Amino acid sequence: MVGSFSVRFGAMASKCEVRLAASSQAHADALAQCAIDEVARIEAAFSRYRPGTIVSRINDAAGRDWVDLDSETEALLGYADTLFEGSEGKFDITSGVLRRAWDFRQGRVPAQAALAPLLELVGWQRVQRAPGRIRLPQAGMELDFGGFGKEYAADRAAAILKAAGARHGYVNLGGDLHVFGPQPDGSAWMIGIQDPRDAGRTIASIPVQAGALATSGDYERFFEQDGKRYCHVLDPASGFPVGYWRSVSVLAPLAIAAGSYATITLLLEERGLDFLRDSGLAFLAVDHQGRVFNEKRSHMGSASGLP
Amino acid sequence: MAATRILLAALALPGLVQAENAPDKSTLSVKYLDYQDSQPNLDRIHVRSPAIDIAVPVAGVWLLRASVVSDLISGASPRYHTAVSGASRFEETRKGVDAAVTRYFPRASVTLAAGRSGEHDYVSRFVSAQASFASDDNNTTWLVGAGVANDRINPVNDAVENEHKRVVDLMAGVTRVLTPADIVQALLTHVRGEGYYSNPYKYIDQRPRHQRQHSLMLRWNHHFGGSGATSRSSYRYYTDSNGVDSHTLLGEYVRPFADGWTVTPSLRLYSQSAARFYFDPVYDTRFGPPFPPGYSFTDGRDRSADQRLSAYGAATVGLKVEKEIGADTTVDVKLEQYKQRGEWRAFGSGSKGLQAFSARSIQVGITTRW
Amino acid sequence: MIRALIIGVAMVALAGCAMQPVQPWEKGMLAKKAMSFETDKLEAKFAEHTYSSKEGASGGAGVGGGGCGCN
Repeated sequence: MVGSFSVRFGAMASKCEVRLAASSQAHADALAQCAIDEVARIEAAFSRYRPGTIVSRINDAAGRDWVDLDSETEALLGYADTLFEGSEGKFDITSGVLRRAWDFRQGRVPAQAALAPLLELVGWQRVQRAPGRIRLPQAGMELDFGGFGKEYAADRAAAILKAAGARHGYVNLGGDLHVFGPQPDGSAWMIGIQDPRDAGRTIASIPVQAGALATSGDYERFFEQDGKRYCHVLDPASGFPVGYWRSVSVLAPLAIAAGSYATITLLLEERGLDFLRDSGLAFLAVDHQGRVFNEKRSHMGSASGLP
Repeated sequence: MAATRILLAALALPGLVQAENAPDKSTLSVKYLDYQDSQPNLDRIHVRSPAIDIAVPVAGVWLLRASVVSDLISGASPRYHTAVSGASRFEETRKGVDAAVTRYFPRASVTLAAGRSGEHDYVSRFVSAQASFASDDNNTTWLVGAGVANDRINPVNDAVENEHKRVVDLMAGVTRVLTPADIVQALLTHVRGEGYYSNPYKYIDQRPRHQRQHSLMLRWNHHFGGSGATSRSSYRYYTDSNGVDSHTLLGEYVRPFADGWTVTPSLRLYSQSAARFYFDPVYDTRFGPPFPPGYSFTDGRDRSADQRLSAYGAATVGLKVEKEIGADTTVDVKLEQYKQRGEWRAFGSGSKGLQAFSARSIQVGITTRW
Repeated sequence: MIRALIIGVAMVALAGCAMQPVQPWEKGMLAKKAMSFETDKLEAKFAEHTYSSKEGASGGAGVGGGGCGCN
């Protein structure tokens, strides 16, 4: 008799879960291990903090040397370039330095004098690239894979589970999901989308047989001051957080794609809705006034609880 | 469009997109067929056929399949047209074995198969290969296939001795997903054969030694979200160098009910033209039956009085009932009634003078997965 | 005649080109057994053998399979 079991673990500063069909919890734990190992590998490989990783070596060599790239990193950097072009320059993986000015724990808005020198270090268009190599032209510039690292890990974990023969289940890394197969009885998994203003509530339930759902929102890391919310998604030109959308959820074949579309929509602010509609993907977006926009694209299923 | 470029770029990242095709469970199927055909006032052929099929996936990328079918055939078959007095009684056992190996790749699959079918006067051996290739979005799949069969014929009545036949078939086709509830397929088949095609047990039967056949098969499956039912329709156009042109229209409606019951009624309509060399039951005034008018013992012309090559229409009504027992086992029963009539031919007049042909069949089977 | 058959295949190949491609998460219904073109193998074998031995036409759905002395 086969049921589905959850294997929970912590990674990428989030609560993570692998859900799959297995004959027992012990069996599920064993099957999920290869996926958990892959998530750990990606987190370690692309960490900015651990010395010796490809990202820290590129960042340390900023303003000095070219760094050789492995094929995985080179492919991801090529993808980051596509995101930069496709977001009118708003999705910029060199913009991570801006976070040095924002203290989300203290909840203080930085002065312009603090932001100005950091803004000098932002600009993917200035990064020098050659086949198999990369160079950051100015000391202090940094690359940050945080914009799609979690989603990429979800896709890789799902691919590894599928290659191992798993046909039912999903990988959930802190709300970014890749469903690699329906429930053991063939029915879809019902995935809840969190209410951006109430962590205990969901605003919709989406049936997903296979595919990925990723959400970007202003509620993951933020502080509020004088009635205004400051979240962790920063515009690379101004250094200030975006504020038009409360959350954007996108359904796509891969979590990395779904997450990219969601984040770019946040970054494009009011222009994000046209961008989402042009993508041809199913989405659910909540703007700063709480208005909900959604596009079903055939069988996205019923969304319960929508106003 | 910049927006879709992002999705395409993500799909192109290495190591993210996987194969979806290889099945994950082994399957064993056992089925038994009981078939009886007849013409008015005379039962003709009775066939009892047990069959077994087993499919085992290996390492997530291979599928091994094998099947054995045994036919016990008995009864009477007319020597010419539907002449009752000329019926010949016989009993025959035929056994067929075949095996196939499939290898699955991320966007493709390849299958190699071989088999042998034998009865004491006829042995057929075949090998075949088939491959499928899917598009990046898995909505289009191209199919190609080729097969060769070598037959050896040694009829018990010694009408001929050690005759042989070789048939090559080629197939190409495409499957397309049109909507979340519709999938269609078109298959084109070309067959060419050389050798002994005549039926040695029929009087006055000589068929061309070179034959060519073409067929186009169109299939469409549609799912009804509300009832959970599926309609399966197909049309086949067939034409061959003997002058037989036929149309086959098949419709099935698969309707699931509660508790694992599924009922599938089906209807098949068939119509064919006569072979060029088929002659009606009108006989020569000098020699009498079975000789056609103007028959010469020495002209070596192709002729046949086989009812199968006449012009007629036919219809089959069928009903299949399946029940799931537990999560992994299904039992099924299928009943079919077939009738063939000269006057039912569509697109032309049917052959005259033949008795109506009918057949009924019942199949029972059990399938289990593990 | 052959040309008509090839055009038939081409039409199916191009069918739906103008429609929105179906996304992976929309393929739930297509995954049902009844929606596949691979029917019950033994049932298909019986049907092909029965019809090809009683009618003038044969095949159309695949390659291989061999012949028999069906009389």
